Amino acid sequence: MSGVSARRRPLARGLLLSAQLLAAHRLRTVLSISGLLVGVAAVIVMVGIGRGAEQRLLDRLAAMGTDLLVVSAAPAPRVSGRPRQVPIHTALRAEDASAILAQSAFAIASAPAVNRSVVLRWEGLNRTTGLTGTTAEGLRLRNIRAGSGRLFDEDDDRERQRVAIIGPAVARSLFPGVDPVGREVRVGDLRFEVIGVARPRGIDPLGTDLDDFVTIPFGTGMRRLLNISYVHAIYVRAQSSAHLDGLERDIRDILHERHTPRTGIAEPFVIQNQASLLKAERAATAALNQLVPAVCGIALLLGGVGILTVMLMSVRERTREIGLRRALGASRKDIQTQFVLESAMLGGVGGAAGVIVGVAASGAFAMFGDWDLVISWQIALLGFACSMLLGLIIGVIPAARAARLEPMEALRAA
Amino acid sequence: MIKATNLTKNYRRGTQMTEVLKGVTFKVRRGEFVAIMGPSGSGKSTLLNVLGLLDRPDSGSYILDGKDYAQADDEARSAARNRKIGFVFQQFHLLDRASAIRNVTLPLLYAENGGGDGAARAERALAAVGLSHRKNYLPSELSGGEQQRVAIARALINDPPLILADEATGNLDPKSGAEILDIFRGVAEEGRTLVLITHDPEVAKRADRILTFGDGRMMADDGLPPPNADAHEGTTARL
Repeated sequence: MSGVSARRRPLARGLLLSAQLLAAHRLRTVLSISGLLVGVAAVIVMVGIGRGAEQRLLDRLAAMGTDLLVVSAAPAPRVSGRPRQVPIHTALRAEDASAILAQSAFAIASAPAVNRSVVLRWEGLNRTTGLTGTTAEGLRLRNIRAGSGRLFDEDDDRERQRVAIIGPAVARSLFPGVDPVGREVRVGDLRFEVIGVARPRGIDPLGTDLDDFVTIPFGTGMRRLLNISYVHAIYVRAQSSAHLDGLERDIRDILHERHTPRTGIAEPFVIQNQASLLKAERAATAALNQLVPAVCGIALLLGGVGILTVMLMSVRERTREIGLRRALGASRKDIQTQFVLESAMLGGVGGAAGVIVGVAASGAFAMFGDWDLVISWQIALLGFACSMLLGLIIGVIPAARAARLEPMEALRAA
Repeated sequence: MIKATNLTKNYRRGTQMTEVLKGVTFKVRRGEFVAIMGPSGSGKSTLLNVLGLLDRPDSGSYILDGKDYAQADDEARSAARNRKIGFVFQQFHLLDRASAIRNVTLPLLYAENGGGDGAARAERALAAVGLSHRKNYLPSELSGGEQQRVAIARALINDPPLILADEATGNLDPKSGAEILDIFRGVAEEGRTLVLITHDPEVAKRADRILTFGDGRMMADDGLPPPNADAHEGTTARL
């Protein structure tokens, strides 16, 4: 027996043996991997939700324009609990828009806007929608582009032309099967020529249909339709999203100077810096993502304890089998290898099951719930690899215990 | 085949030291069928552990098939258990979730040359104990005698020169026990060395030679030439 110390046995056969043993102890196997399974699945779902939320925020930011501020007239305070005839402050003026552009170094474009809810009529059909009167610059700031026909321009605005651009949703319901371009719609007694249908923008994540609107030139809206002297909103574009905060301060200063509020009265305008709101939301998402390592840690700990418990139980239960294997020629190292492989395999199976359950749960959430989940295959792979490694490392303890058993005593065990 | 010289073994229990083997010396020739007898506490189980390379003696030498294993390392002794020794136990020690044939192939897992023709070898081993028709049965579906025959087939699969049997008929009815002893007789006639540990004189009588132990020492060598004498022939005449 010269080569006895250099015995080598194929790893594959050891793995096969371990697999058979795990298959033979189905319930125990399932119990031991359940911790890992739940952990890995939870991590995949959590990361999926985190990334989905992040993705949704980015989409919203992109849809809004990350460099846009909206200055709106503030709701007017109630007097004696009765609503006013005009429920907003009427301080904002079209000139404020040009003043902001002229005085703030951070502003690169601005446009005033007026709004009203209107009923559009065409040949017996009607449709209630939101009307906005704004400038050609306003169209650019709100990202409205022509899908068919054309947009109105500065000349249309100056001449107070009765032209309108309608959103695709309005076009579909008011002009079923008809090309709306060139038709005349009525708003009250006024007739407007539809000169363009906007390109579809879809529905924003809050459920607002971005394709349900009608837009007319600012001058037309203010003088011909609404006959008011104030405006409802001013759109201001910053040089970049980094300048939003500076721009917001500038606007506040400029407007305060132009509309000195009486003491004790709140600002007559609201600056909607939605991008910064979204950033706060994004920070919250980031905080959620920072929890992931902690969840991973807990999952692996629980999974590890599960495997360790079951493996130690297995060693105790299989004491006689260990003794028998030793008698039949297994060295201590063979026994150790067998139990480490079994444990690693448990970890691997648990991890793989976790990946399957996690991906399936993510899919179910995405399909039946209002969740946007982004499945991260790197996380799935990492979860599987960590589980297997965990099994391998955890397995050393029960394996050492199994290898230490004295064969004859093990054989005599009950 | 076996040459044990002055084997000693002590066990420490707490502060108390128990001498279990107090210098055991004997030889077994290749092809011999030997029974080792003695009451419990006589040291025969410890001797079996040493002979089966499951335990190391504290001193003395143990030469098996030409090599001294008294202080060999775990790998060498494990390899020798696999290649040179076939164990048969009182409790059979079959894996209850594995079929007869899978039980028989178990030692091949730890064999150097692997189990390329393992299935064929296992079939031959099962045929040798007359159990070809039961190869896919689970141990729970077999009688005690059949289970022990599976265990013998397992002991034979690596073609070891030495079979160690520990009270192999102790859990069987007389008829099954007699069948097992017949198989052992056949195994010995193939030229294998058989060492049978038993406390049953009737069983021991089937052996060529009886070594009697008591108090950690060999008390008698059934009147045949003393252990150190090499001349030792004509064993089958005793039957």
